[in-house]
Amino acid sequence: MNIIEVKNVSKSFGSKQVLDGLHLGVPKGSIFGFVGGNGAGKTTTMKLILGLEETTKGDIFVGGEKVTFGNTKTNRITGYLPDVPEFYPYMSAEEYLTFCGEFTGLKKAERKQRIKETLTLVGLEGNKKRIKGFSRGMKQRLGIAQAMLNNPELLICDEPTSALDPEGRNEFLELLASLKGKMTILFSTHILGDVERICDYVGILDEGKLKVSSSIEALKQTYAKSQIELSFDEAADFSILIAELNALIEQEIITEVEKINEQNQVIISYNKDYTDVAGVLLESLIAKKIMPVSLRKMNPSLESIFLEVIR
Amino acid sequence: MNGISFLMDHLPLLIPLIILQFTLMITALIHVIKHPDYRFGTKGMWIFIVVILQLIGPVFYFVFGKGDNE
Amino acid sequence: MKNIYYFSKKEFLESWRTSRLLILMIIFLILGIMNPLIAILTPDIIQMSFGDSLPVNIPEPTSLDSWGQFYQNMTQMGLIVITLLFSGTMSGEVSKGTLINLVTKGLKRSTVVISKSIYLILQWSFCMLLAFFVTWAYTLYYFTDDNSPHVFLAVFPLWIFGILLITTILLTSTVSKNSYEGLLLTGGFVVLLFVMNIFDKFERYNPITLTSENINFLQGASNIGNYMPAMLISFFLSLLFIYLSIVILNKKKL
Ligand SMILES: Nc1ncnc2c1ncn2[C@@H]1O[C@H](COP(=O)(O)OP(=O)(O)O)[C@@H](O)[C@H]1O
Ligand SMILES: [Mg+2]
Repeated sequence: MNIIEVKNVSKSFGSKQVLDGLHLGVPKGSIFGFVGGNGAGKTTTMKLILGLEETTKGDIFVGGEKVTFGNTKTNRITGYLPDVPEFYPYMSAEEYLTFCGEFTGLKKAERKQRIKETLTLVGLEGNKKRIKGFSRGMKQRLGIAQAMLNNPELLICDEPTSALDPEGRNEFLELLASLKGKMTILFSTHILGDVERICDYVGILDEGKLKVSSSIEALKQTYAKSQIELSFDEAADFSILIAELNALIEQEIITEVEKINEQNQVIISYNKDYTDVAGVLLESLIAKKIMPVSLRKMNPSLESIFLEVIR
Repeated sequence: MNGISFLMDHLPLLIPLIILQFTLMITALIHVIKHPDYRFGTKGMWIFIVVILQLIGPVFYFVFGKGDNE
Repeated sequence: MKNIYYFSKKEFLESWRTSRLLILMIIFLILGIMNPLIAILTPDIIQMSFGDSLPVNIPEPTSLDSWGQFYQNMTQMGLIVITLLFSGTMSGEVSKGTLINLVTKGLKRSTVVISKSIYLILQWSFCMLLAFFVTWAYTLYYFTDDNSPHVFLAVFPLWIFGILLITTILLTSTVSKNSYEGLLLTGGFVVLLFVMNIFDKFERYNPITLTSENINFLQGASNIGNYMPAMLISFFLSLLFIYLSIVILNKKKL
């Protein structure tokens, strides 16, 4: 079952079209990585899901209920970490969370317990300072705390790791991973490593549409280009090598050759069986007496898939 | 007019009045000095306004002068 | 229902921690003291500025002069200070984005509006009573006449008008981008009331009457029943303004 259903949604700001017939389904219980370049429309999509922006066309359902622009009932089950979270500067972190806990209906004992846990989780325990003195990173941590405080069914985080230092980023990713099973998480990012580490599903947003939406494994299988990386030492004669490889392209054994000059490497793309291709490749290299220092079968990275998809 | 006897007659009015005006001025003054991020104007200007313009000065500071991040 | 209490509590904390409540309390206390003081000093000031050349005897001030000052200061100073300090109550939250975390957790926007109006009305009532009791106490002490029998009856219409003004602030601040715009709109509304007051026909219906006839109510010279229409209109306008604020906030980009 999908906890979020975005159906054929378009969104324009004036004459600028940001989303163009977007379909997006987020399976219940998953950690869904929402990837796209700057300005792709990730923030806009999330705001639409939360009723903070109005769709130009199309419908959105959260937990089976239709999202309405403005006051929307579907927000009962959500928690949101905006890209730049804003708080009441005259409160302390604990006071802010107490306020949030109060109106989300947490009972007093439970509230105290949750606040203590959550503050410890994000590393703000025992901090009595008013929020106005918080750094960007501390605000981000408090933002995470307020979003997950009342264990929402659906947690939406907008580029949560962008304001954190590498250590904080690691901690946060672990934190998200530990929430798996308790809530569905939709989080946007442009850091593909983050997605690869903790997500089960990934959606790639480009030109207003979801170019890809699948589990990470399935994605790697569909989109992975088969590639072999060959490295040589300085003495190697690259003109002979390239001529040889071009001949292999003619014979349709490999499809593409990319030369990386500084590192004396070539990356070879192919679409046949690896063993056959590697065999032919090595034979022709031996025949020309050009010996590689290494031959590596490249595993597809999300990065290369992403670049492939948005090309 | 007999100033002294007038003052004595109206001490119940004057003492609290002076204390209140002073409190107001000090409250605003402390704020001006502790939070130098004004929407416009300088510290000197706001100190002057708060001290010289009784009543209106502090109100003006809190409405127009005080920075947003407080 | 409970959420209205929690959000009002937040409004109180905000007012207190940003020093606004303290400023209001001090100003209303000062106003309370100034009213009898100015009434007492007025003859002396006139005497001083005209010297002994003044042909007529200046009449001794009475409790009516003290209460006259009260109604003048409450409207010309008290209500204006409240308007100045709170004209950004909603636009500030919207422009800073502080409501986003809250509504995306399911806080109803109507709760925000209702809590704000409840808090602002309580705050107005408290400040008005502060000034009222201070003026009353000093007036009883310094003026022993019995010219002012109906003190509560006279202040009640002012209280109603204050509530109307507060709901106006709430509405204008909900439709505005910032506090200056809100201030301008609220000012415009009050000017409109004054302009309508030129027409005698509307007098009994115009809320502004509630701030101008208080001395007559005080003496019992004017029957408060005559101004029932103005009070009812103020009351229903207040409800309408709260309702409109909810409708507008419900569809506002936060
Ligand atoms: N309120 C707005 N008015 C006009 N244009 C907007 C507004 N919000 C976003 N945009 C535009 O929509 C595009 C997508 O923005 P956004 O959703 O923030 O992208 P992302 O979060 O993926 O970086 C951008 O080109 C941005 O300039
Ligand atoms: Mg964004």
